[in-house]
Amino acid sequence: MRGARARARFASNRTAVAGGVVIGLLVLFALLGPALAAHDATTSDFVHGVAPRTGLPAGPSATFPLGADRLFRDQLARLAAGARLSLAIALGATLLSTLLGAAVGITSGWLEGRQTRVAWPAVVGAIAGAVTALSGWPRAGLALAAAGVLLSLVTRLPGPRLDVDALLMRFVDVMLAFPFLLLVMALGAAVERSSAAAILLTLGFTGWLGTARLLRAKTMQVRAADYVVASRALGQPTARVLLEHVLPNVAGTLVVTASLQVAQMIVADSVLSYLGLGIAPPTPTWGRMLFEGQDYYASAPWLVAAPGAAIVVSVWGFNMLGEGLRDALDPHQA
Amino acid sequence: MTWLLRRVGWAVFVVWAVVSLAFVVNNLVPGDPARMVAGVQARPADVARIREQLGLGAPPLVQYARFWRRLVHVGPRDVAKGDPVHSSCGVVIALGHEALHVDLGRSYQLGQPVVDVVATRLPRTFALALAGLLLQLLFGVATGALAASRRGSWIDRWVVGTSVLGVSAPTFLIALVLQIIFAQTLRWLPLDGFGKTFADHARCLVLPALTLGVYGAAYYTRLTRDELSVLLQQDWIRTARAKGLPPRGVLRHALRAALVPLVTSAGLDFGALMGGAVVTEQVFRWPGLGQLAVTAMLNRDGPLILASVVVSSVAIVASSVAVDALQLRLDPRTRARS
Repeated sequence: MRGARARARFASNRTAVAGGVVIGLLVLFALLGPALAAHDATTSDFVHGVAPRTGLPAGPSATFPLGADRLFRDQLARLAAGARLSLAIALGATLLSTLLGAAVGITSGWLEGRQTRVAWPAVVGAIAGAVTALSGWPRAGLALAAAGVLLSLVTRLPGPRLDVDALLMRFVDVMLAFPFLLLVMALGAAVERSSAAAILLTLGFTGWLGTARLLRAKTMQVRAADYVVASRALGQPTARVLLEHVLPNVAGTLVVTASLQVAQMIVADSVLSYLGLGIAPPTPTWGRMLFEGQDYYASAPWLVAAPGAAIVVSVWGFNMLGEGLRDALDPHQA
Repeated sequence: MTWLLRRVGWAVFVVWAVVSLAFVVNNLVPGDPARMVAGVQARPADVARIREQLGLGAPPLVQYARFWRRLVHVGPRDVAKGDPVHSSCGVVIALGHEALHVDLGRSYQLGQPVVDVVATRLPRTFALALAGLLLQLLFGVATGALAASRRGSWIDRWVVGTSVLGVSAPTFLIALVLQIIFAQTLRWLPLDGFGKTFADHARCLVLPALTLGVYGAAYYTRLTRDELSVLLQQDWIRTARAKGLPPRGVLRHALRAALVPLVTSAGLDFGALMGGAVVTEQVFRWPGLGQLAVTAMLNRDGPLILASVVVSSVAIVASSVAVDALQLRLDPRTRARS
């Protein structure tokens, strides 16, 4: 019932529908574009790509619908390949950061204001994992911490009582004050630099802080609601209360933040490429294309216009979708 | 009062944690600073000598302890010219014959005391942050108030539509468009750089500040509009209207109430900008802290990286403390809670 009403609100919201259409077209372009483009994204064409008299990149024509870039490569093919990368990175990073943010936020909000018994494996795993990661083995550290948490989730072992919420939020505070670029370089060094996976992990592991804070506040609201208090009083196990009552009621907020975050991730990815910290050339990314094209903006304006428009339109699409979803799923905030 | 003390204590802890983490990260990132200074073709013996000179021979823990011991210490009031111990110190407060020194070491690449480098760049970043934020607030609050006072009209729809588009443009794109319009086509303002005289600086500041202004204005437009729309429907506004207060007076009442979220956002934004608007500074070659941070990282210039981390984390943490304190002043309701 609630779903139907939300769908109706979403469908009657022109901004949201426009955002959805833009994203649909973008996905279509990313999927079909590389196949439709007649040329390879990384091969120079010194015959057709060069303007006859000036020797500059050729402008838009039948062979090159969006012109050629400064190394005489097909701009359309590069834009389409870039769309694939940008979308894949943005969606993957958002998925990662949303999952992390939801896990931390819901845990923190649920446990706010009380001491919780944490099993020793989790405590030891977290500390040992942090030390290991900071001594130069980030993957081993992550594995240690994950193993510790998992072990204490499946078994019932004794442990100290800790204010988990305070610890998690203090960690978020520190991470928020940490310079983003240094984090990017650190994570880039931890996983192999300048691959798409590295950028995805970097953005995913840095983007969850805001989501966690928001979800914590939302969970605290839901936790105080009568139906949650009642189901706890009836003796339902915590896991069930979280899954059946808390998660559905914070899901709207989660979907809205996620779709707005895809937009931020596209921007962040293009910023990294623009600064030269992204995926290494010759792989085409929108940010890199813009950076390489900006010197030619007077003689070959399509080199700036195409990637610039691609970035703005896709970010705009996800922003509009997010706004529309907020109006549809979260009527109080509209 | 205890609240403030606790808050400041926590702030100091965050700065310590962030700087320590940065120190560890800096040691983990591959690349040899000594090799970067010596050059690719330097002999191994020279690289080893430079490593010793830079103090990189010591184990990381010793370097870490040395960093904190030197950061703030007591030294002579006037540092002698050839004094090797205090050569990279900045004297802060004089206490009799002694003085409080701040020492962030010496840049590997520039060879200058980091304190001096930061001191010359801090005012530039401050100017850019202040000008950018003021423009954001000016554009944002004006258009937001306009949209809220005509809620549902074509103006409102247009403002909302444009603001979504405004949020969607990354700074480097806005910068590029502004450069093409004002520097290349109209030739009113310099393309980038910093200039030599004060008038030059001011002219060079316009475009980067405008970039930040355009970029952030959309956010403040939405914030102002959404806050005011809710406030204008409150009972006390209806009462004020019923008593015959003109629309401008009503708007002023509502704006006073919307001040808390605006000040909160602006304060936190200012803190973030003081760490250096990295992209904007880079595009316009504005020699502030953001640009310094990028060059330092590319050069693996440890002392400079740590200095930029110290400055930006202090700015972020201090602004959040200041925002909390301001909230207490501006909103009487929050006082009971703290």
